[in-house]
Amino acid sequence: MSKSYTDKDEIRVALEWGLEWGVKDMIKLCNVSKVYPNGNVALQDISIEIEKGEFVFFVGPSGAGKSTLAKLLLREELPSSGEILVNGVNIAKLKRHQIPYYRRGIGVVFQDFRLLPDKTVYENVAFAMRVVEAPRREILRQVPAVLHLVVLAHKSRSMPSQLSGGEQQRVGLARAIVNNPPVLLADEPTGNLDPETSWEIMRLLVEINRRGTTVIMATHARDIVDAMKKRVVALEGGRVVRDEKQGTYSCEETKSLEEREIGGLRKGFGLL
Amino acid sequence: MRLSTLEFYIRETLLSLRRNSLMSLASISTVALSFLILGLFVLLVINLNHLADTLEAQVEIAAFLDSELAEEEIGRIAREIKALPGVKESEFVSREEALERLRRQFGERQDLLDSVEEMNPLRHSFEIKAVEADQVKVVAQEVAKIEGVAEVKYRQEVVERLFSLTRSIRIAGLVLVVLLLMATVFLISNTIRLTVFARRREIGIMKLVGATDWFIRWPFILEGILLGLLGTLVAVLILSRLYDWVVTSIYSSLPFIPVLSPEGIMQPLTLLLLGLGFLVGAFGSLLSLRRFLRV
Ligand SMILES: Nc1ncnc2c1ncn2[C@@H]1O[C@H](COP(=O)(O)OP(=O)(O)OP(=O)(O)O)[C@@H](O)[C@H]1O
Ligand SMILES: [Mg+2]
Repeated sequence: MSKSYTDKDEIRVALEWGLEWGVKDMIKLCNVSKVYPNGNVALQDISIEIEKGEFVFFVGPSGAGKSTLAKLLLREELPSSGEILVNGVNIAKLKRHQIPYYRRGIGVVFQDFRLLPDKTVYENVAFAMRVVEAPRREILRQVPAVLHLVVLAHKSRSMPSQLSGGEQQRVGLARAIVNNPPVLLADEPTGNLDPETSWEIMRLLVEINRRGTTVIMATHARDIVDAMKKRVVALEGGRVVRDEKQGTYSCEETKSLEEREIGGLRKGFGLL
Repeated sequence: MRLSTLEFYIRETLLSLRRNSLMSLASISTVALSFLILGLFVLLVINLNHLADTLEAQVEIAAFLDSELAEEEIGRIAREIKALPGVKESEFVSREEALERLRRQFGERQDLLDSVEEMNPLRHSFEIKAVEADQVKVVAQEVAKIEGVAEVKYRQEVVERLFSLTRSIRIAGLVLVVLLLMATVFLISNTIRLTVFARRREIGIMKLVGATDWFIRWPFILEGILLGLLGTLVAVLILSRLYDWVVTSIYSSLPFIPVLSPEGIMQPLTLLLLGLGFLVGAFGSLLSLRRFLRV
């Protein structure tokens, strides 16, 4: 699923930071806390590791900090303390101009779909590719393929307002994966959908995950989480209260290991 | 930049113009109005300068000589005048010639001059032109010092008033132009700010899917430039029609007022205004992007 790098800038970023999406696609949070400027404590001392190809649920009551976690991963917000390491790179240290290239590695899906109301289904999906300046012929190949995957090929000329909620979310999903990101981040993707439509979306997420994409999903929906039998990280009041994988790794150890690997990666690039 | 990206930008820009058509129209009109005033002003100043130049060329110093002077004395005075700095040209007018001119001016009423025919009371004189009108006073003073020159006259007041007028118009014009340009920049930046606001959703999505800052900025900059250029274009069209009309009416009814012909000045003025419109548009949108497009 890894993307081929045609953009010089992207390659440079990858070299400078060892941030080569698709190499390991390891996400690690080490003692991350987030306090908003107004004093709201959203996350407290969170340590989580997510490996390539995993399917992880973040669950917890409203206000537990699930969306804050998503914002941190997207680097919309910075942690107040602790580190978020992606392929060994502390993403807080990314420079402003590097952030877009980092974000291209994460597809995002939202509860409220966030489609552009005055663009067709096709254009909404193609938009994500135009924005990263994908070649035209790749857009022409990829957009129909993805629309086919989410079973919306027949509605590609419709406007979002002419679609049901489930269909709109499928467009959102298509847009999120059209650039083949190694990670898919979904914040309550089924929050606005009825149970049956929710399962359609879940089936698609499983399919996407089966193809190698790491899927991270925040949700309230207990029934879905219970039925899926995937890894569950439960948050409450900004703390991890349950994580099946907890204790199987330590931040310090893996960090140094990771750094050694990145060093090797850099040398490898240097030889090219 | 890829060609398809450019195509995308242009489509987005046009879409945005169409979507905010009322606002776009408002800002285009205001840009047009500002540049119309600016253009009128430039034309006024250019023409006033031209008028001043023409009048300058006409401004003369008249130096009247003592009554009894020998030929060689007159020659010496002529050389001394020529040698003065700031003198453009000087011409000797004999008393006979002066009388002749008087005759021409009197026209029908030659009889009035008959009595002076016998004993011409007029004096020999030199008509002197200064290189520049603001030197007239100095030149006149220098000429008065020459031996054999009895009296010096020049149209001091006219010249000085004309010059203080052009000076103050130029200053007022500069101030007005700067104010207008600032207003136009402000207006465009405001329009772009509103477009940014109207498209904040789209911008948010662009950021999330990994658009670079410049990718997001370009359509807005193009929009600002387009607004600036369209407004200027309207202004230029109105301006050239208007100036054509003014020039034709002046030629036909007040032919002695010197005006510049449209051919010579409208083309450089158009280029100047379009260039300025481009800059104002680009600057206006950059200004609002800097303030409103932070992550
Ligand atoms: N921009 C913000 N400024 C200040 N406080 C915030 C901000 N965003 C979230 N919070 C606070 O942080 C805490 C966690 O919010 P967050 O949105 O992450 O919860 P959530 O788990 O996504 O909840 P929900 O299930 O309702 O979506 C809440 O107490 C919230 O009030
Ligand atoms: Mg939330």
